Amino acid sequence: MKRIASRLIAIVLLAVPAALAGAQAGATNTAPESFRANGQITGAAGGAASEMVFKIDKYSADAEHDALVKALKDGGNAAFLEALKKAPKVGALTINKRTIDIRWARSRPEGTDHRRIAFVTDKPVFFAGAGAADAKPTAGYDLAVVEFTIDSVGLGSGTMAPAAKVKPGGPTGVEIDDYSGKRITLTTVTRVMK
Amino acid sequence: MRSLRALAVLAAALMVASASPGAAPQSKKKNAAPETFNGKARVTSGGSIADAYFSVQIDQYTPDKDLKAMEQALQSGGSDGFVQALKKAPVAGHLKIGDKTFTIRWARQKPTDKGRTISIVTDAPVYYVGAGVPEAKPKAGYDVAVGQMIIDTAGLGDGIIALAAKVKPGGQNGVEIQDYATEPVKLVSIMKVIS
Repeated sequence: MKRIASRLIAIVLLAVPAALAGAQAGATNTAPESFRANGQITGAAGGAASEMVFKIDKYSADAEHDALVKALKDGGNAAFLEALKKAPKVGALTINKRTIDIRWARSRPEGTDHRRIAFVTDKPVFFAGAGAADAKPTAGYDLAVVEFTIDSVGLGSGTMAPAAKVKPGGPTGVEIDDYSGKRITLTTVTRVMK
Repeated sequence: MRSLRALAVLAAALMVASASPGAAPQSKKKNAAPETFNGKARVTSGGSIADAYFSVQIDQYTPDKDLKAMEQALQSGGSDGFVQALKKAPVAGHLKIGDKTFTIRWARQKPTDKGRTISIVTDAPVYYVGAGVPEAKPKAGYDVAVGQMIIDTAGLGDGIIALAAKVKPGGQNGVEIQDYATEPVKLVSIMKVIS
């Protein structure tokens, strides 16, 4: 299941730029736009839930997207992170009182009335499980990856890797390694009406 | 402020239990160990909430001589002295959360108007609430967990627990508890298991 989720996000990350460009031009709903999301994660002991807001000011341009993909392919996670931090801020993720910058965001159509949206923050959002006494080190998990599908009404769902590293490899060319090994499920995502 | 008050209650539970001459209902068969309590631990912060099921199994309540030894170790050796003495104390029971089990080496009960108050201390931290945030403070020094359950005569109750704490000498009761979390975790829907 983890692998499937990783691939879903990876496919969105590496989606053909030309198709994305067309999608963004033709989409009914586009940036700036905001979404409210409810994230849930369960484990052996219980579960946790949290509210978040995703504010996307603009979707990343093809040139910015291409630069990030090239950095990942040429230099792996470290180069990707460096390029990500240099990219312009395109939005923000807010959880409780914390706000983390989004520096890569893409949207592409899916089916007749859905969009798949993915974005990457330039810092990790949360290390799920890091409170355990025997928790593994958090170093190296320097960003967060969010992916969700939204319909034309503005309702959807998705997944989130709240502390992740990316590396080249796998069937899609990019693999996402999450700190906890388990994704946060975005049970409901709602587009905020303007 | 709420957090400080809650920690003061925890600290008082530790000290009053052993200091009170009336704190010996342990001979009463109804409330005697071994006994087990199940419940839910709840953390809330802003728009986030986390729940975990727990079980406290008390095999025996800690004898007065062991409690006094730990109190003396706290006063003479501070937090480190207390932890060392705690680790030498006999096992009083276990706290289970999910698939993890922690050893309780301090377990004490004190009668109240509506039932009793049970205080427990584990010899290791259970969870560092808030450590998942990227800028989290260091975990070092928070070596135990301290909890208190208020149980009525029917065996139902609630309580609080500092899942990763420092026990230090000081304050009005002679003991202070410093919680790693910004406020203690609530224990809700506690129920004594009928054997």
